[in-house]
Amino acid sequence: MAEVEETLKRIQGQKGVQGIIVANSEGIPIKSTLDNSSTVQYAGLIHQLVMKARSTIRDIDPQNDLTFMRVRSKKNEIMIAPGESICWELLLNEFHSPKMKRCYSS
Amino acid sequence: MSATGGKDGGKRRCSLLLRPYVSRTLFTAAVCTYTQPRSLVVLLPSSSSRTTSVSHGGPRGSHQRSRQTTSVLGCHSRRSLGGSKVLEKNVVQTPRQAVRVFDEVNNDVTPQPLYQADPGAVQPMLFVDEMSVGSASDQPTATGSFTLPFSRSVFGSSRISSQSTTESVDDEDMFSKRDIPLSFPDVKVKKDTEKEQVTEDMLKDITEVFISETDTFSLLDMPSTFVCVDADEAEATIARNHQYEEVCRNRVSRDKHVARSVQTLTGTTKNKHVQSNGLMVVDADVCMSTATNVTVCDMYEPLSEAEQEETAGICNPVKTDHSEGVTDSSRGADRSVSVGSTATTVSASGSLKEVEVKALNAETQWKLIMLSDKFQLCLQTVERSILQNSFHPQLAAYRQLPVLGDPECPVKNEMVEQRTGGMDGGPSLQCLWVFSCELSRGRSVSCMTWNRKNPDLLAVGHGEFDSGNQKPGLVSCWSIKNLKWPEHIIHCDSAVTALDFSANSPSQLAVGTHDGSITIHGVHSKDNRSRGVSSRESPNRHLGPVWQLRWTQQQVSSTGEEKVEALLSVGADGRISKWFFFKDGLDCIDLMKLRRIQNTETLTGGKRTEMMTERVLTALTPGLCFDFHPTDSSIYLTGTWEGLIHQCSCSNSQQFLETYRKHFCPVNCVAWSPFNPDVFLSCSSDWTIQLWKQHHLKPVLGFTSAQKAVYDIKWSPKWPTVFGAVTEGQLEIWDLSSSILDPVIVQPAAPGVRMTSLLFSSQADCVVVGDTDGHVTVYQLKNLSVGEQSQVDVLEDLICSAASR
Repeated sequence: MAEVEETLKRIQGQKGVQGIIVANSEGIPIKSTLDNSSTVQYAGLIHQLVMKARSTIRDIDPQNDLTFMRVRSKKNEIMIAPGESICWELLLNEFHSPKMKRCYSS
Repeated sequence: MSATGGKDGGKRRCSLLLRPYVSRTLFTAAVCTYTQPRSLVVLLPSSSSRTTSVSHGGPRGSHQRSRQTTSVLGCHSRRSLGGSKVLEKNVVQTPRQAVRVFDEVNNDVTPQPLYQADPGAVQPMLFVDEMSVGSASDQPTATGSFTLPFSRSVFGSSRISSQSTTESVDDEDMFSKRDIPLSFPDVKVKKDTEKEQVTEDMLKDITEVFISETDTFSLLDMPSTFVCVDADEAEATIARNHQYEEVCRNRVSRDKHVARSVQTLTGTTKNKHVQSNGLMVVDADVCMSTATNVTVCDMYEPLSEAEQEETAGICNPVKTDHSEGVTDSSRGADRSVSVGSTATTVSASGSLKEVEVKALNAETQWKLIMLSDKFQLCLQTVERSILQNSFHPQLAAYRQLPVLGDPECPVKNEMVEQRTGGMDGGPSLQCLWVFSCELSRGRSVSCMTWNRKNPDLLAVGHGEFDSGNQKPGLVSCWSIKNLKWPEHIIHCDSAVTALDFSANSPSQLAVGTHDGSITIHGVHSKDNRSRGVSSRESPNRHLGPVWQLRWTQQQVSSTGEEKVEALLSVGADGRISKWFFFKDGLDCIDLMKLRRIQNTETLTGGKRTEMMTERVLTALTPGLCFDFHPTDSSIYLTGTWEGLIHQCSCSNSQQFLETYRKHFCPVNCVAWSPFNPDVFLSCSSDWTIQLWKQHHLKPVLGFTSAQKAVYDIKWSPKWPTVFGAVTEGQLEIWDLSSSILDPVIVQPAAPGVRMTSLLFSSQADCVVVGDTDGHVTVYQLKNLSVGEQSQVDVLEDLICSAASR
């Protein structure tokens, strides 16, 4: 349990991370490093997105499942890690400077 | 019909009246006796049809009054006998025997009764009240006697008793008893007169018909088993009950049953798992939930001040949402939108106690989540993704992914320039990243090794062993995917000096420490505190630091088919040992003892005996490194403190096959060339690197660049002529195809830091360097243009040319 807290702290301390939200399977946020209104807003919206994405993948192949999701926008990036039916977690990450090279990622 | 009730005990009969109704067929005769006491009966010449109709109508009670009136007498007439014209009056009045049937010839054809009733016997009451008339003992009538057979067949003795018990019935019976005989004579008389005078006048006459209600037919009599205390038969009932209890009590001793227990064998349960798709959760209205959030917040804030001190500040703004979430969950499995609405109602009416309960649930839920493995996996994934984002270019370079220009980015030109600039320059090293964390900072890196199976995993051993005092060591297993924190950390009691991953079971890591013990840890488990299998208790353990470990595939059978992996170590006590699992720890057998050998060149033949005696008495010299032949795993080289390199065989534990002498300081590392099996390199603290060819006792080539001890040397896995060396102050990359005098690339160490170990990466053109500050730096080799010729040939040529010199 202490490792989990440590990991969360480490993630929070990474460069460019704006916040972390941990929510349960119903989309109710349990832990958050953002303010309340943002948390609520993100939790509600992201929950729907995750459900939709997961159902999409499972419709295509019922034995498949969603493992990770990234939503990149102009200003920042949202990373969502849904975990089975227990919880999911999302965090916001600001992009680095535009000098970052674009590469193919495997 | 419960005839049994009547049969059982007349004493128990209640005063109720209902009596079951026997079948109608039986009644045909019996019913006939049913009379209207006051009715004037018009008796018509009997016809069977009429009587039968009446007979049916009779028992129906009041419904059939009209019919009854018409031919009651007829039924009477018919009752006694099947269909003959016999006057029933006689039958009714007189006992059965008096009825006589005469035919035309005046023969007595009186049908004998089927059942000879004993006129003296108490006759039971009949089904119908009217029957009882006949059955009255004081007035035995033909009706009664006639119906006796029928009644008795059904009721039996019950009637006898019932007669005496039912009072109310008796009244009626008496009444009917009284009346019937009275009526009969009247009826009878009238019947006679009517018969003779039936004329048209008679028919026109107005006849008076008296209709009266029939007596109650009892269609069903289910006597109850309860007797009123005030009833007459109460005493009898009570007495009977007592008698019964007595019987029961007495019976107990006479019963022949045995009290016994029975064991039910329950079979072992079988677990059955059922899989099903997860539930589909549909949230139709999110706005609603946010609206409820607001209300919950407003409601919750003043209530939750009591609990705020126990939770961290971060959690507080979340708790409001979570309280709603908890109410949701407390609603059970209902996941529809209506949950939101119920939540509002619940929260609106929630008391402080409810809120406290919700707060507790939040904590427990968070704990549950934290403990779950999947959450940790999520966290790990997220962390890696972030780091991948941050270190995107470096990782891409490591993975040797092509770097594309960004079409939108205005920096494109700059990048192009950089690339061209890079081309112009010679081979260089580019620092990609540094593995370091606060745990490992300040602890000198002593050894590194790649995982055999997962080339992304790097195990780094930390330990200070230059100084005298023993500090605890650390092994940190890093992954390329997570550059900021090691995947696995193993704390060791003393400084770590040697590491090696097993090839057969890739998660086993053998750790050799400064105090001479070897421990095998499992790296995959998350438990950092698990003790691995250790050789600490073994009597044969190394008495000095274990300088190198290696898992090798040893051939067991001569045919070379079985390959068993064995752990070999070389230690400062001069022994090369092979370890195996023994009880709870490790035990070893010695493969070789490194005996101290004098320099035979100085000794002349005359002193051979002296040498031999010296040999017997010499101590063992510490072995610092060893390396196994790439193709023949039973041959190995070992470098000693004396500067000698011995070539030994696993099968010969007494003698060295060869001894290579050149170095005069401790040999720090030997390495076979992966491409050319006859060639090996050695480096030593005498500032030199020697290139040897097998069976040549003199080195082919020697390299020296810096005036510093060379700590580590490794061949490049990709290019046969390239090798890397780490001296105290710098990292050198040698390319023999381009120059044998100078290293191609020289990378100085950071000031104040000494480099201690070196590894080539098999996946990328990278080298990994560890230093005394605990940092593990990953460099990428750039522009190391190696010639087009086959490198092995180049090496061969080199060696030949050098050897010939």
